Amino acid sequence: MLYNNLKLFLFVCLFIVFNLQAQNCNNYIKGRVFDKGTSLPLSFVNILIQESLKGTTSDKDGFFILNNLCQGEIHLIISHIGCDPKKILIDLKKDTLLRIPMSHTLLGAIVVEGEQSSNIYFQSISSLSRTTIENNSNKTLGELIQNESGVNLMKNGSGISKPIVHGLYGNRVKIINNDIIQSGQDWGNGHAPEIDPLSADKITIIKGVSAIEYGAGNLGSVVLLEQQKIEKEPHLHGQTNYTYESNGRGNNVNLRLEKYSKYFAWRINGTLKKYGDKKSSTYFLNNTGHQEANFSLSLQKSWKEKLFMDIYTSTFNTRLGILRGSQVGNITALNIALNAEIPDKTDSLFRYDIDAPKQEINHHLAKLKLKYFFNENNSIIFLLSGQLNHRKEFDVRRAGRSDIPSLDLLQHTYNSEFKYTHSFKNLWKFKIGNQNIITNNTNDPNTGILPLIPDYNNWKNGLFSTLSGKINKANFKIGFRYDTELQKVAEISNDLPRRIIRYENNFHNISGLSSVKFNLTSKQSLAINSGYSERNPGINELYSFGLHQGVSGLEEGTLSLKKEKALKNTLEYIWYPSSNFSINTLIYHQSFNGFINLIPKQKENIDGVLVNEIRTTLRGAFPVFKYQQTNANIYGFDISSQFSIRNSFFGLIKYSFLSGQDVKNKIPLIYMPSNSIFGSLKYQINKSNILNKGKFENTEIEINNRFIFEQKNILIGQDFVSPPPSYNLFGLKFSTNLILPNYKIRFFTEFNNLFNVKYRDYLNRQRYFANDLGLSVIIGLNFKF
Amino acid sequence: MILKKLLILSIIGFISFSSCKKDDPVTPVIPNEEELITTLNYTLTNAFDSTDVVTLTFVDLDGDGGDAPTITGGSLNANKTYNGRIELLDETNPADVEDITEEVLEEDEDHQFFFSAASITVIYDDLDTNNNPVGLQTILNAGSAGLDTLKITLIHEPNKDAMGVSDGNMANAGGETDIEVSFPINVVQ
Repeated sequence: MLYNNLKLFLFVCLFIVFNLQAQNCNNYIKGRVFDKGTSLPLSFVNILIQESLKGTTSDKDGFFILNNLCQGEIHLIISHIGCDPKKILIDLKKDTLLRIPMSHTLLGAIVVEGEQSSNIYFQSISSLSRTTIENNSNKTLGELIQNESGVNLMKNGSGISKPIVHGLYGNRVKIINNDIIQSGQDWGNGHAPEIDPLSADKITIIKGVSAIEYGAGNLGSVVLLEQQKIEKEPHLHGQTNYTYESNGRGNNVNLRLEKYSKYFAWRINGTLKKYGDKKSSTYFLNNTGHQEANFSLSLQKSWKEKLFMDIYTSTFNTRLGILRGSQVGNITALNIALNAEIPDKTDSLFRYDIDAPKQEINHHLAKLKLKYFFNENNSIIFLLSGQLNHRKEFDVRRAGRSDIPSLDLLQHTYNSEFKYTHSFKNLWKFKIGNQNIITNNTNDPNTGILPLIPDYNNWKNGLFSTLSGKINKANFKIGFRYDTELQKVAEISNDLPRRIIRYENNFHNISGLSSVKFNLTSKQSLAINSGYSERNPGINELYSFGLHQGVSGLEEGTLSLKKEKALKNTLEYIWYPSSNFSINTLIYHQSFNGFINLIPKQKENIDGVLVNEIRTTLRGAFPVFKYQQTNANIYGFDISSQFSIRNSFFGLIKYSFLSGQDVKNKIPLIYMPSNSIFGSLKYQINKSNILNKGKFENTEIEINNRFIFEQKNILIGQDFVSPPPSYNLFGLKFSTNLILPNYKIRFFTEFNNLFNVKYRDYLNRQRYFANDLGLSVIIGLNFKF
Repeated sequence: MILKKLLILSIIGFISFSSCKKDDPVTPVIPNEEELITTLNYTLTNAFDSTDVVTLTFVDLDGDGGDAPTITGGSLNANKTYNGRIELLDETNPADVEDITEEVLEEDEDHQFFFSAASITVIYDDLDTNNNPVGLQTILNAGSAGLDTLKITLIHEPNKDAMGVSDGNMANAGGETDIEVSFPINVVQ
């Protein structure tokens, strides 16, 4: 017997199977397909028996019938545009009735499934399906989610990108990989999250107000990577993916296998990537190749549907080249680079070699998760994990030292977590939990350079509780969280004589949230969220000291920083008058007290006037940037609309607006994302074409367009150079599926920056030196069995 | 009931974790900053009068730290010719001063000094393994009398074959700036 809560555990569907009568090769399967979120019937859904390639399409009421079936095991493939295709194993003994809910990613903002659904239902989310992840197997996590509304990227060249959600990034946005808070050197703008997105089945961006359950330090938004439960399928299933990308001549291979047995269910996932120098619209970007080798293993076991165990280990290893011409030296040299037509050290040779400047990162993770159901209303989750992050950054140095890292940081993180959920009879739900994180961060002294951030030990403990329920037409959720953080730091002085200075900081942070969601009618809903959260200054904000290569600035932490306090309110309105049209509007406002940002340090000149400090060193003059606090407001809106015409054309338009202001100094905030429009139009051939023994299905062609406005909300002098002008990129995609008796082959091709437009992006740190990527053609094959 | 128990359990868990032993970080090893250049000495000796020696020095012992560097300029005789010699030192540890000049000399094809001033002129008096100038040894002409500023720049990995670079014109050199210092000079009649 299944408990209510267990439903959440099943990734996509539940079948209600009625047994009728048995007859050999004269059985039928009748069924109805409907949208899981809206319960509306889905027409034009393809239902195909993989073994015999016999298939049908659902009618306007979502009904279908497959006749004259033989007894035995068959796999049904159910596919529909905008949905993740689903494969169902049926051991056909009798005539069978099926009810098939499909989760529509096209209307993704409305539908949420999976274990996390109860947590995030109130907050604005957008999610990416497995198909999207597979079709973009050449992309990093950041690049994969950058087309979601409200999401932008902070880049350091083409291979390094980190997500920005509603203007916040770094240690203000948490990334949860497989239940575990990703722990690395996430403070660095040029540091990408160390995650292989191909190990995930679903990526969700919660553009919320206060993610109470995900640990201290985040001020609202969370990027969530989830793995689906291994299905109870006794056959070995798997897939392999190969993608070639013309720009960078990149090769990507991915293999994934999974099998269920009564002892345990297992899944492995491995990825290899190799890229050489990428190319802008006209010239090569020398030394911008990257390599990646990742592996993960997942073991799952359950005892009597009461106790579930999930063991997961993963390793992520990468080497990332950084544009050679971006390491210039002091401000004089930067000014020369800013005015150069093409970056220094550019030549016409393509190379796979990666030299300094470069980054080498290894990230390993191990996790144990236990979930126990006392009964259908009570469950407990226990999590234990360890992470090891080793980051080495290399600069071009004198006397053969380019092979010695300039920064060599080793970080261990241990995490324990416990969560208890109680469901009441009236569907109210109570949750309580605690999280403990221990971090140990050390520098290798063999760099020969004073460390940018000091050695430290860090203890975080958090306690949270949420209550959700329904009163009349209103769903509500309230939550509260309390965190303590202890930082013990051992810093090497930056003045002479060099000595060790120790610091100890203790912080107490609280956060809270309240959410209400009204289902105004069956076709529209309104959600109002308010959240307050506190974030204590991070180690880098307090103690960092050193030269930031690439931006030619000296960065200084500030010892006197206090907590950052943020209040965020969001209003989301969703209207979906039919399954052919929906519109989603999210308006948000976040005000900060004590917003910590890195801005030019000021000092009095001889006339007593405050001017930006320029520090003279032997290497020349450098501007000094210091972490300082101010009061700030970030507000904006994301609006998206989806429509379909005659079930063949599918359109999508998204617009994001954001504005960030330093209200104390009455100046704009620097490095805020530009406004953007994204649009796509997809045409799907509903008919399937039989070719010999195979069958082509879900053939799609898509044209898309991304327009990024110029960031005008910035004053002259706030940055070395004014933001680059607006740009407009076109893309083209084509994909088709060939279904054969024992396997499925998906072929896809994609053109990025179709017209080879020359552009620079405001949030790419390499924009001071080089143009962004030119045309790239991607060809991919996905083989599933 | 179970709810109460778990509430208590979670609070106990929270307290026990927050009260476990918290060690200070292990004392970090102070890195040996062997690559750091703290001092540049530019010694100028009058070509016809070896007693006329002027040394320009730039000393910044704490590297990127907040203490301002000590810059010592000098006074030169108008229209006189001087033999110049550059010396680079790491004086972070006074007991163990390291000579960085040797490192530059070993990689002379990857390094070049550039000199600029209003009326002072500097020409190269040394060659690297590819017969391109380095600038550790130079010949300086003081030019006409007056106050001047001499800027010395060391570029790592310049393109020495680019136009004008081997004549001392930095514009097309590219590369990375390792040193950029300026000295006040008083050229006297």
